[in-house]
Amino acid sequence: MTSGRLIAGLWLTIIVTLLYLPIISVVLASLANTRYMRFPHRDWSIGAYTDALTQHQTLTLHLTSFKIALMVTFLSVVLATLGAMAFARYDWRGRSVFQKAVVLPIFFPQPVLGLALLLFFTAIGVSPSWKTAVFAHMVWILPIVTLIIAIRLFGYDPAQEDAARDLGASRWQVLREVTLPYLCPGMISGGLFAFLLSWSNLPLSVFTTGADTTLPEWLFSRVATNYAPVVSAVAVIATLGSLVLGLIGLGIMQLRRAGKA
Amino acid sequence: MTDSRAGYLLMAPVALFLLIGFVTPILIVAWYSLMEPRTFELTSVLTLANYRTAFTDGYGPPFFWSIGGAVVTTIACLLIAWPTAKMLHKLAGRGAVVITLLIAGPIFVSESVRLFGMSLFLMPGGGILAGSLNAVFGVSIGTVLNTKMGVFLGLVYVHFPFVLFPTLLGVALIPQDRVDAARDLGANAWQVLREIELPLALPGLVIGALLTFVLCIGANAEAAILGGQTVTVVTRAIEQRFSYAQDWPMGAALTMLVVAVTAVVVFPALARIDLNRLIRK
Repeated sequence: MTSGRLIAGLWLTIIVTLLYLPIISVVLASLANTRYMRFPHRDWSIGAYTDALTQHQTLTLHLTSFKIALMVTFLSVVLATLGAMAFARYDWRGRSVFQKAVVLPIFFPQPVLGLALLLFFTAIGVSPSWKTAVFAHMVWILPIVTLIIAIRLFGYDPAQEDAARDLGASRWQVLREVTLPYLCPGMISGGLFAFLLSWSNLPLSVFTTGADTTLPEWLFSRVATNYAPVVSAVAVIATLGSLVLGLIGLGIMQLRRAGKA
Repeated sequence: MTDSRAGYLLMAPVALFLLIGFVTPILIVAWYSLMEPRTFELTSVLTLANYRTAFTDGYGPPFFWSIGGAVVTTIACLLIAWPTAKMLHKLAGRGAVVITLLIAGPIFVSESVRLFGMSLFLMPGGGILAGSLNAVFGVSIGTVLNTKMGVFLGLVYVHFPFVLFPTLLGVALIPQDRVDAARDLGANAWQVLREIELPLALPGLVIGALLTFVLCIGANAEAAILGGQTVTVVTRAIEQRFSYAQDWPMGAALTMLVVAVTAVVVFPALARIDLNRLIRK
């Protein structure tokens, strides 16, 4: 038994280490400001970060990505909350078809979806910009958020709503005082997923942002061409952004759990 | 308000959005794929010329690459995810939660950043791995960067978490007493795996495998960042039709073929799985 635990510990450590090695590599690479990558660095410096922060472009890239992610989060959570209730709360004819149809976009190659959306926008005469990227991200992210909120709903007891109604609550009060508070944790984690998935998305953005550029797009174009330490620095800054947000989200969920206990 | 009326009302916004944002674009691509080569207008003159070209004009290798890469990656990911999921399930408690969160983390770091990190790690000469080995042990090593192996490692690295999480859900569906009973009746480890564990965990495994397969079919960043010029994947080939070649109908026809491959794999598998059972827990 103990040897089993040892092997498990070792295996899991290796898996986690391998998953983080590339991310650590970017951090290590960003800590020198030399033209060519020569590790171990002779001169460690944070010059690449000051370069990144003084470039006007860094701010624009972050703002574009942030704008898109924020819109995607808001719209997805609103629509997905409704969709999740149809998915898991009510029993209606056609529900099983709806359940399968909603998850289809998740099982669809993203670059292909991005291209199809680009043709669609062109065909209806909409020129691509960050707004069309919001729409594109939602096609892939809305189904995921719907699933996350639906998972929460499967543990829901509809009798609570009947009880509230028997006690004289209006339909609106039932929704506000009973249903939504119960769904809240699902909506928070759904929103967190929506933001982070949009923030880091590359394949959909590549085709649908038009003249605007998101962080992952810029990084991809720079990475695929030639190396520069400033690219590593921007990558680290962007990743720190999602790390902070992820931790805040986890913190909120922990607080709620602690408040209830 | 009856359940069925509430259901229809609530599903309407999502259904409408996906009808416009998912179904319509695919229909438009299908229409473009039936236009004369190198036209940019949608007309009612339909032709199958692009599909004929697709099958006769050397588009085989990109398809072969993407589908083959997707199959191999899916199998490799499943083989790593199964023991990992079982260990995490057995570990339970706080430790398992922390490790699960750690494994989920990289999903939210952009693919471009992670693959860039991988290329920095694998870079020959002054890369993180080669440079450290040289500085510490004085050995020089080669690299898998810009080879097919590099692309394959990148695919496995990026998609592993997508297999692991559904597999974890699947493993959670195996009741321990069922396994114990089989053992008491004299089943060996292999029999327990084949007769009890795999069939019970199947919904999770299928979802994970589907997700990975589909994501890999579309994957092109791995080949661009880690593969140098060694591999042309199918989405890259399609992109070239749209950009350099300015042949939208041809690109659309190739896109429809990828959609067809995806549909052939996804529909039968999805039809057999009860999503309710998997996520209700």
